Amino acid sequence: MNSLIIEATKYTPEISFDCEQHTLGIKGKSYPENTSVFYQPVFEWLEEYLENIGEQNITVNMELIYFNSSSSKVLMDFCDVLDEAASDGKRITLNWIYEEDDEDALEFGEEFQEDLESVTFNLVEKAPER
Amino acid sequence: MLKDLYEFKEDLGKRGIFFCLSGPISQNLVAEIGTTLEQHMTMGEAGKSTVLRVFSTVVENAQNIMRYSDEREEDFSLGIIAVGYENKHYFVLCGNMVDNNKIGKLRENLTKLQNMNKDELKKYYRRKRREGPPPESSGAGLGFIDMAKKASKPIEFNFKTIDDKLSFFSMKIVI
Repeated sequence: MNSLIIEATKYTPEISFDCEQHTLGIKGKSYPENTSVFYQPVFEWLEEYLENIGEQNITVNMELIYFNSSSSKVLMDFCDVLDEAASDGKRITLNWIYEEDDEDALEFGEEFQEDLESVTFNLVEKAPER
Repeated sequence: MLKDLYEFKEDLGKRGIFFCLSGPISQNLVAEIGTTLEQHMTMGEAGKSTVLRVFSTVVENAQNIMRYSDEREEDFSLGIIAVGYENKHYFVLCGNMVDNNKIGKLRENLTKLQNMNKDELKKYYRRKRREGPPPESSGAGLGFIDMAKKASKPIEFNFKTIDDKLSFFSMKIVI
């Protein structure tokens, strides 16, 4: 299969799912008008990828500066798919990356962490970009 | 008209409002407004979380107008959004027309949120996110809860009757 690369726009994040390096990245802002239209190919790719993957370590980096409430629901679903795959024996590490003084992003990360049982979940603080 | 425009601008200023948009709201506009506000506020003393909360509240409100306003012109939904600063807090005002038959449900939802504390709001948000959206929602059904979570005090709202079909629904969210 091919890697999935979608460039960032003003209101959708960059998607860089690399099926050779086994790193999946979602980075940027997410507040599309229609969330399911944007994320449908992302979920389709993920499903196929997880079906075909073996014992490799998979790293997922989620670095969202901002997301609206309907994206929040989609991101939860995304994490659930990963968690289910991990409970089936896939080796998945999920890094939730947030900026140093962004309390809300940290809180979202902590909540996802509480809900997920099988993936290795890391809260990763990084220095602000500007 | 020309003279009034100055009065209008002054009036907004007196109310602490530094940004105001009334008319058709579109996704492109939302992105531009968000970015401009972010830059404007970052130049001031607002912290990262505050800037993002204001940005987020503007986006949720704009997308509510786009989805639910009952005043439309072809593909566009009409509404008003304003952002201001008073008593050391940013606030977001939002208004749009709604069908009178939607008022009951809106009032019920918003009153429920007004009576919840931070912790209850957090739990309610997570529960609703799990449950999925109610049938009348075309998003995730989480917008109001998200705003209530980000606000520093309960959301104020009002319905002003316009005629037997429509009312003007307005909200004030203090960050």
